[in-house]
Amino acid sequence: MIVALKWDYYFTNSKIDKFISRQQHISYTQLLWQAFRKNRLALWSLRLFYVFLFVGIFADFIANERPIYCQIEGTTYFPVFKEYAIKVGIAKPNPLFLQKDWKDIEYESVWFPPIPYSPNTLDLSNAYKSPSEAKHQHYLGTTELGKDVAAGLVHGTRIALLVGLLSMLIACAIGVVMGSLAGYFGDTRFQISRGRLLLNVVATPIAFFYGFITRQYILSEAGKEGGFGLELLISLGMITSIFLLFNLFTPLLKRNKWCAKLLPLPLDLIVMRLIEIFNSIPALLFLIAIIAVIQQSSIFNVLLIIGFLRWTSIARFVRSELLRIRSLDYIESARSIGLSDFRILFRHALPNGLTPVLILIAFGVASAILIEASLSFLGIGVAPDEMTWGKLLAFARTKPTAWWLAIFPGLAIFISVLIFNLIGEGCSDALDPRKRG
Amino acid sequence: MTKYILHRILLFIPTLLAVSMIAFGLSKMSNNDPVENLCQQEEPNSAAALARQNKECQQIAADLGLDKPAFYFAFRAKAFPDSLYQIYDLNERMARQNLIAQYGNWSLIEVYFRQLYQLNQQVLGLPDSLSNDLVSPIKSGVNQLNIHYEHERIHYFLEEIAATIQQNATLKQQLYSSFQNVVSVYSDVRNRPTKGLLYIPTIHGYGLDNQYHHWISNFLTGDFGISYYDRRPVATRIWEAVQWTLIINIASIILAYLIAIPLGVFSAKNRGNWKDQMTSTFLFMLYALPSFWVATMLIVFVTTSEYNMDFFPTGGVGNLKDTAPFWDRFWETVYHLILPVFCVTYTSLAFIARQMRGSLVEVLDQDFIKTAKAKGLSTQKTIWKHAFRNALFPIITLIASILPATLAGSLIIEVIFGIPGMGRLAYQALFQSDWPVVYTVLMLAAILTMIGMLLADIFYTIADPRVRLSKSE
Repeated sequence: MIVALKWDYYFTNSKIDKFISRQQHISYTQLLWQAFRKNRLALWSLRLFYVFLFVGIFADFIANERPIYCQIEGTTYFPVFKEYAIKVGIAKPNPLFLQKDWKDIEYESVWFPPIPYSPNTLDLSNAYKSPSEAKHQHYLGTTELGKDVAAGLVHGTRIALLVGLLSMLIACAIGVVMGSLAGYFGDTRFQISRGRLLLNVVATPIAFFYGFITRQYILSEAGKEGGFGLELLISLGMITSIFLLFNLFTPLLKRNKWCAKLLPLPLDLIVMRLIEIFNSIPALLFLIAIIAVIQQSSIFNVLLIIGFLRWTSIARFVRSELLRIRSLDYIESARSIGLSDFRILFRHALPNGLTPVLILIAFGVASAILIEASLSFLGIGVAPDEMTWGKLLAFARTKPTAWWLAIFPGLAIFISVLIFNLIGEGCSDALDPRKRG
Repeated sequence: MTKYILHRILLFIPTLLAVSMIAFGLSKMSNNDPVENLCQQEEPNSAAALARQNKECQQIAADLGLDKPAFYFAFRAKAFPDSLYQIYDLNERMARQNLIAQYGNWSLIEVYFRQLYQLNQQVLGLPDSLSNDLVSPIKSGVNQLNIHYEHERIHYFLEEIAATIQQNATLKQQLYSSFQNVVSVYSDVRNRPTKGLLYIPTIHGYGLDNQYHHWISNFLTGDFGISYYDRRPVATRIWEAVQWTLIINIASIILAYLIAIPLGVFSAKNRGNWKDQMTSTFLFMLYALPSFWVATMLIVFVTTSEYNMDFFPTGGVGNLKDTAPFWDRFWETVYHLILPVFCVTYTSLAFIARQMRGSLVEVLDQDFIKTAKAKGLSTQKTIWKHAFRNALFPIITLIASILPATLAGSLIIEVIFGIPGMGRLAYQALFQSDWPVVYTVLMLAAILTMIGMLLADIFYTIADPRVRLSKSE
């Protein structure tokens, strides 16, 4: 409720801001950006975020055991680029490079990435070397099998950002939809004919049966052997089409007087119950439980689950925002000229209440990164070939002498959490005219 | 007010049921079999031994309540029989289920497994004079056939058994016919599938005598069941664990409030100047500092002799016997808990102090503070007598949100420092597939969270009469 009061405040401010921006002949976005820029810490955090993003996207070119460019016996190769082609499946690995370690090949000319190791490259002669004693460009030391810490950090950046950003994208999508349905329609405004309700009630078990129960075997086999995502998509597609098929019959049923009667659907109540359920489950424990059941470790599972668990705060916020917006005059007039509810919601109501979601997203990214790091620190949810910050940090527990393993990965987690918190703080200050000074 | 609280408590029920079903559903999706874990894994060498072992496992399944259907009803395809739950061994059950999912003809599959059982009986009844090299591949082959459903695997094991049988005349004489039965029934299963049945939905009701019902009704009467892991009552295990978690969390909450409130007031009092900026920045950094990193650093640097700073024990809670003098045990515990309590404290400290500063700054902006100042009150008095009480309300509500955190909030810290508290208990239970413990922890956490949320709302109305409780908020 504290939060709700605060958001109320932001909302009134956004109206004032829009007024100011019209006065100054700049757009609302520009006004906010100007305000954001005044907060030096937040601005620098944003710039640091761009650096992280760059490192994450170009991780393969920054830390890789393969050379970016090399020339052997007159032929030129681009092994890093080739690796992408192999991953996509349009090229086969060159047998020349399969037999020898990249380091042992004799090149005529070669250009290695700045950190010439992949996160999983083993360098057994340099196991547990500190940054000062390690030779061969192990800038930040090595782990137990001589894996390079710097390379792990670079590739861990990619995973951390992937988890942070994608999971918040999922959370945001679910949260905005749920919140706007609950807030805009409330308990009474969403009306549905008895016929349609009946059809959907019937369709639910049928869709569930054909989507999941009959496909249980296929899904579980795909879970073991790969291709689970595709099969799941097929299942979801089947479910959607069954629902669509059933809804096609609504006009037919509506001819019946009893079936045509409209009933209000208490969307708000449903969404609020859902939020309560999600909020009352301890997130970390539940995440570990799901991952323990799935047993197939992949960072994508982790980010999906985080996304599905963390939408509630966004939904609550969007809901309270739309509860207010829907009683405003311009929405009333839009309704009076006969615009459809969904059009009003998505074209007119929602865009007005969405900017402050940025604050929640920024803080959400920070906490998602933190959750991922703590999970992989506990050794849960990451595949053996994925190197993450948390995993690197966990190595420190097995070898106390390796101070570099305790410091650098933790620092990376700390800085990324810090910058997202600062960005969130900056957004929240920028949206609050009192704090702009 | 009473009506509102009652209304909220009534709304707890569907939420709790949903959480219980989610927890239960998760346990049913797990492919770790508690019965198999507790059962003796010796290879039986006679038909009587096999029967005895089966009976023991059956008994274990019955003790754990796993010999019942899972839920009140089952919604499944017509091809599946209603009695699959009676097979207590998860792998054997899955083999049958997956064979049905492939071919849809349970009547034949049932015959196949019966033939397999007979073959197994005959294998166990083979004379001891036969060399083990011949008998053991058949034994293991039959066992493997019992738990496999993929055609390639079944085919492989059938071939293997056939090849072994061919090697010896006695084997051939004793096993050939029943083995042939298995092979022919299996080819029947493959050649005469009734896949249509897989697409006809049916609902079968099992009544109240099911696993979920027993668990949830026992839970509601305070009986949390028996741990799969060591077969001790879950309540005992939780009671042992919760003490440590409570000690840590209560100590850290008290510490956090004791430090955070003066810090927040100090920061708000000096708002705008360098003192405030220093404190705020410090608190912000502290808040963003991952506690598992701090814990790891503490373990690496101050609990090992590598850096000549071996001040604290690495983990655990001390191992003095109960007979040791109370104060010895007390100091031993304190000594072991200093680091974990520190790690749990600083995050909430930073959070509370930031909240304190925020709300106090907001209050200090208000007119009645100006009036108080204009009256000539000293800054100290204005802050502590007028502003502080008003600013404290959001802080009180925070206590409520800390309530559920006492249960599983310090999971990582407990795991890192090896403290046998609730977090570590839950963590270990998850990886031991000790579902009764997991259910209980999840449910208790959910209940505490809901109580916490309710308390927060109630505190808030008490603190600020302008806020009205309504159904929608």
